[in-house]
Amino acid sequence: MSSAPVEIEKLPKGNSLTKDAWRRLRRDKFAMFCLSIVLGYALVAVLTRLGLVAGTWSEQVGKSYSPPSAGSWHLWFGTDIFGRSVILKTIYGAYVSMTVGLLASLIAVPVGVVLGAAAGYYGGKIDDIITWLYTTISNIDPTLFILSLAFVLGKGMNSMCIALGSSAWVGICRLIRGEFLKHKEREYVQAAKSLGASDARRIFIHILPNVSHLVIINFSFLFISAIKTEVILSYLGLGVQGIPSWGTMIDEAKLELARGVWWQLAAATLAMFVVVLSLNIVGDALRDALDPKLK
Amino acid sequence: MMNYIIRRLLYTIPILIGITLITFFFFNVVGGDPVSIMLGKHANAQMIADMRHEMGFDRPLIWQYFDFLKQIVTFDFGRSYASKQLISKMILDGAPVSLCYTLPAFVIAMLISISLSLLVAFWRGGWFDKITVIICVAGLSVPSLAYILFGQYWFAYKWGMFPISGFQPGFPEMISYIALPVIITVVLSIGGELRFYRTVMLDEIHQDYIRTARSKGLSERVVMFKHVLKNAMIPIITNVVIEIPFLVTGSILLENFFGIPGLGNQIVEAINTSDFPVIKAQTIIFSLLYCVFNLLTDILYSLVDPRVSLK
Amino acid sequence: MENTKPVLEVKNLRTAFRTEGGELIAVDDVSFSVMPGQTVGIVGESGCGKSVTSLSIMGLIPNPPGRVIGGEILFKGRNLVPLSQRELRSIRGNELSMIFQEPMTSLNPVFTIGNQIMESIILHQKLSKKDARLRAIEMLRLVGIPAPDKRIDDYPHQLSGGMRQRVMIAMALSCNPSVLIADEPTTALDVTIQAQILELIKSLRQKLNMAVVLITHDLGVVAETCDYVVVMYAGKVVEEGTAEDIFYRPSHPYTKGLLNSIPSHNGKSKGTRLETIPGLVPNLLKLPKGCRFQDRCTRKQDRCATAEPSLESVGAGHKASCFFPYKEGGV
Repeated sequence: MSSAPVEIEKLPKGNSLTKDAWRRLRRDKFAMFCLSIVLGYALVAVLTRLGLVAGTWSEQVGKSYSPPSAGSWHLWFGTDIFGRSVILKTIYGAYVSMTVGLLASLIAVPVGVVLGAAAGYYGGKIDDIITWLYTTISNIDPTLFILSLAFVLGKGMNSMCIALGSSAWVGICRLIRGEFLKHKEREYVQAAKSLGASDARRIFIHILPNVSHLVIINFSFLFISAIKTEVILSYLGLGVQGIPSWGTMIDEAKLELARGVWWQLAAATLAMFVVVLSLNIVGDALRDALDPKLK
Repeated sequence: MMNYIIRRLLYTIPILIGITLITFFFFNVVGGDPVSIMLGKHANAQMIADMRHEMGFDRPLIWQYFDFLKQIVTFDFGRSYASKQLISKMILDGAPVSLCYTLPAFVIAMLISISLSLLVAFWRGGWFDKITVIICVAGLSVPSLAYILFGQYWFAYKWGMFPISGFQPGFPEMISYIALPVIITVVLSIGGELRFYRTVMLDEIHQDYIRTARSKGLSERVVMFKHVLKNAMIPIITNVVIEIPFLVTGSILLENFFGIPGLGNQIVEAINTSDFPVIKAQTIIFSLLYCVFNLLTDILYSLVDPRVSLK
Repeated sequence: MENTKPVLEVKNLRTAFRTEGGELIAVDDVSFSVMPGQTVGIVGESGCGKSVTSLSIMGLIPNPPGRVIGGEILFKGRNLVPLSQRELRSIRGNELSMIFQEPMTSLNPVFTIGNQIMESIILHQKLSKKDARLRAIEMLRLVGIPAPDKRIDDYPHQLSGGMRQRVMIAMALSCNPSVLIADEPTTALDVTIQAQILELIKSLRQKLNMAVVLITHDLGVVAETCDYVVVMYAGKVVEEGTAEDIFYRPSHPYTKGLLNSIPSHNGKSKGTRLETIPGLVPNLLKLPKGCRFQDRCTRKQDRCATAEPSLESVGAGHKASCFFPYKEGGV
């Protein structure tokens, strides 16, 4: 429409796309705040993994179902039926959720990117087969898909991650395929081709960096679905076994609520709400920063 | 037009085959030995062998696959392992129950979110838009279980406005039972829906032809309700039709909490009792349904969008 | 032509956009006037503010982020700037209409072209649906669409780009406007179609006695159609004059540069390299002190970096904003 402002935006020279995006993102103070929250959760997860925090979650710190109290920070969110600290369980739950999100992404992102790139770049038979595969999977209700897979794989964290990863690659694959279809015809790729760049070089060195922002944007939304799925699977008894997670805490809260014990539910819900909200906002901000066209 | 539909139908066939293959792969190959899971730890070898024979797991995989296809075509999935009921009957009984609350909730949520999205697009960038977006994102970030638990606790248990759980078929009796599930479903879905419709409307508003419409001197109301809405109908219809299969299956968590005997609840029970045949049947039926509705969406699409029918 | 009053007069128009980098003045102190029946060309590189000028006249600047922050737009003596959207709507598409650069996307894909043309006829001329349809068919015939009584029920995607631009023209002219603003009407079209569309606009202008404001970056288009030319650079008018002045006696180095960068047909410049204007359009947020064109100018002197030249007369009805303009007739 008005060509002037668009022209101007392109002008500041010496700024790479990533730098530019980072500059835009940094200006969004609220998104930066949310990003630090997400990083905080990640840090807590790492520390938990190393056994530095919440390692003592299974120890009794008070009477059964003692309500939240201001004393020791272990009791800020009260205790559960066995007198264990709810706040420590919540922290441990953060570790579980972050791990599920990370492992599921580690499956979904490489599979989605490689298949999507191959389908979009090579076209033909390869494209037909990959498109067929992801169309088929996207025709199965994701909840039922994950449920059935988690069910047949058996309970526990690993099967949860595999189930989630096997369902989540579809979206990434579709996205990457579409971008590769567009980019392989662009001048810069044609130029690389005329200079004798190999297929692999064109895929990984030339095109991939230009579409990788989509993966980053998707990453935050992948984490959200991982966290939400963990809750549902744990509620159905298909989730983690023997360790606390937000899902199992909410599941326990179902029976506790009628007795007036609300703190376990509140702690898990609050922990989830804060991280999911932050991920949502970071994801939106990333999308705006990395791909202003999409706004 | 007819050509398009036929082509689209042919395109669906490999997808249908793919769905049966994947489901079969899950349950008969990855699932390894469902029989031992179903019978539990205390089963002896003889019991397992009998069961395997009864369920056909001792036959070659290819035959098992053909059996599965036969089940789908004849809509005869055998009996539930836990309740010994005919699975086809369970599904036919459960689906209408789920629809009792999902359908009204869906219609209400759709009407609210489409009207709100038009208002938001009308006042885009203003405080109404901003507040709506913030509420949507915040609402989406609350776990769905929390909505269900809090709703049930306060509205049903504490304030006694609705029965805590249960379901009664028949028209006036049902209302008090479905009211709370309907409200919760609306609240659960409205954030995502509204966000989606808002994006659709804003996409439209920035199109060149909307500027043309304005340049003709049309009022903002005509621009919104005629030019924007008719174009937005294309993604809206896609979104609406594709959600119908989800209405049939209902919500797993909601039905379990409120004791509504729909398909969602059946799944929970099937998982609790390791009822393989039920889960498998539901997975395949839902996927086929989804596939059919996908097809339907595309056909509807071609009716709404004059550009499609020509290709 | 001399004694009549201008039908459209833009005085000191300033339009600004809020951007991330601060307030950007896309159109800065632009003035020109259009006589009834006259064709005025606004020429410049992309980003010089010519499209923003036309959208400002139409009251179609997307607000936010943009808005007209100063000046007057007199249409038949009435200032459009302070008018409400409601008042503007009765003028827009009626006495003042516009066609756009992208015929492929400027028509609504889900309505028939007849529906879209009739829409403005019914709105402004208060005709019945039946009469509006007849009028729409008449308009389609006028813009040279074959079998208009059949084509009227076509959807935009069934027409070619050139045909769609004809439909856009039919739509814009359906209420007999006094001024038609054509924003790059031929840029997106094939060269042969371009000539046809320009010819159509030219003949319709005579037939309907309307004024045309033709916005383009293509000097060839201007030479063929315009009576009067306004050259814009970085949001400002740098030169204006009759088409003859601009083409045969350009004063501003920018205009001269633009003209030199067109290949000539007469073979005079055979064997010589086509000239280009070095450098880029300046960032409107970081304008240099002094003349906006200085960094690209071949005649730059010290004074150009300290003071900004204003639009001064360099001949009868011929103005340029340069301290060291090319003299009329000379070098």
